Amino acid sequence: MTATPPVDRGLVSGLGAPGAPGSGPGSPAGALVLESVSRWYGNVVAVNDVSFALGPGITGLLGPNGAGKTTILHMLAGLLRPSAGKVLVGGVPAWHNPSVYRTVGLVPEREAVHAFLSGRAFVEMAARLQRLPDPRVAAARAIATVDLEGAADRPVGTYSKGMRQRVKIAGALVHEPTILLLDEPFNGMDPRQRLHMIGLLRSMAEAGRSILFSSHILEEVERLADGVLVIHAGRLAASGDFREIRRLMTDRPHTFVVRSSDDRSLAAAFMAEPAVFGTELRDGRLTVQVAEFGGFTRAVARVARGAGVSLFEVAPTDDSLESVFAYLVSRR
Amino acid sequence: MTIFSEIATITLRALLGRRRTLLMLLLAAIPILVGLLVRANGRPGAVDIGAILDGIMIRVVLPLVALVFGTAALGSELEDGTAVHLLTKPIRRSTIVLAKITVAGTLTAAMLVPSTIIAGLLLAGMLNARPGVDPVAQVFAIAIGVLVGSYLYAAIFVALSIVTSRGLLVGLGYALIWEGILAGLLPGSQVFSVREYVRGIAETIEPAAIESIVGSTAVVYASIALVAATVIASLRLAVYEVRGGD
Repeated sequence: MTATPPVDRGLVSGLGAPGAPGSGPGSPAGALVLESVSRWYGNVVAVNDVSFALGPGITGLLGPNGAGKTTILHMLAGLLRPSAGKVLVGGVPAWHNPSVYRTVGLVPEREAVHAFLSGRAFVEMAARLQRLPDPRVAAARAIATVDLEGAADRPVGTYSKGMRQRVKIAGALVHEPTILLLDEPFNGMDPRQRLHMIGLLRSMAEAGRSILFSSHILEEVERLADGVLVIHAGRLAASGDFREIRRLMTDRPHTFVVRSSDDRSLAAAFMAEPAVFGTELRDGRLTVQVAEFGGFTRAVARVARGAGVSLFEVAPTDDSLESVFAYLVSRR
Repeated sequence: MTIFSEIATITLRALLGRRRTLLMLLLAAIPILVGLLVRANGRPGAVDIGAILDGIMIRVVLPLVALVFGTAALGSELEDGTAVHLLTKPIRRSTIVLAKITVAGTLTAAMLVPSTIIAGLLLAGMLNARPGVDPVAQVFAIAIGVLVGSYLYAAIFVALSIVTSRGLLVGLGYALIWEGILAGLLPGSQVFSVREYVRGIAETIEPAAIESIVGSTAVVYASIALVAATVIASLRLAVYEVRGGD
């Protein structure tokens, strides 16, 4: 693996070169900056020489579990000291600088709310700790923003995982930060809540905020982010426009496991498809090798219908992000 | 509401809302139980109020209760992640530390000062082994020592819980091994023992209440230790690192 070069300028929306003129406070170009940042724990390297600069808009920090996403987010949130390099938030160092929290909101992945507090009490407390002039109104607005009004007066201990996630988000944006950092924000949310959250983050980005969120799920990042930073084994494996990365990821060969009412006929029908270059029936399981992810997923229902076969399950087998990222890194 | 009282209120709720409060109340009740037992025994033998309160309250109950509240006030929030919402606010770290120490110390004192007084007064009705000592003055002097000790131990254990994630264990080691055994054996080591400060403060208020080695200099030592623990805790919290899952 070669050293990661600085992010190509202009790939991520609002991207600015680290340390470029005008990346000071108030300048949107350098809201979140990492300059050759590494972080190690003992002799384990968690983040290895990562550089990027993000401005307003939504950026996805994509990578498998353990890639170093949380370490990067926590360094940006001033909760971890970088072992080397500079981490700047709004032009000032994030570490050892509690004043940055006036403009930064963090939604940590871990549960971070006392179970005995009501959602409203938690958000109002966050508003008071931010010294907002009218904590009650600010909290009510944040709670409405995350669509939690109906449950706001119940103890957080009774919340579902998705609701807890939303109350954390309400607490993080009660002071209307210009920078919002979210660690795996969609974990535990149902599809409707996800959709709502995507809409919410989009509108916040349109209002000029800089949002960085981590995820290990490709589709989440694709649906939400303007730009993407792909992290693998502590390194920046790719960065830039999502479509480009998506194409790199989906154009590689995939293997699917298919369960259906008649695997044998379906296997024969698949072989006529240009996207498919191999099928195998073993132990009552049909595996299909395809040249391209998108082409196959578009074709599969049509092929099954044509063959008069009912599909029960279509699942990619080697789509673990680990293999996707290993593929991306191997290309560099 | 100020930031300080905001943090204090939530800390108090977190500390009280658990089973540990009940356990601590049981611990706090032990000296009263002993007082009742001695009283019920009713034999005319002379009792040394100072020695009994020292042996049970100052030596065992005070450090244990302060240890539990002191390490839970901030340490357990750092452990379970609930402290992150505090750490990501534009608040001075010393404000957080002061609020935590105040709540842990007040809670400890609120349980143990009444317990000391009740247990002491139960014993005060007995024949005092120290002739010429007013047992009530003796009991109140020790209670004030316990009051100061509650805050001092709380400060030390809050600081400890920031410095190490094994604050409870290290604190237990300090209270039992250092204060309980070594500080009694090694000459000169008493100046590093909170237990000795508590006895010294009681002795300063009522010279016949209890015997101590450090005497009235305990006030100086206790002040230094309180300030040092608070400052160390604030400085360490300012550079406290929250590691994530990866």
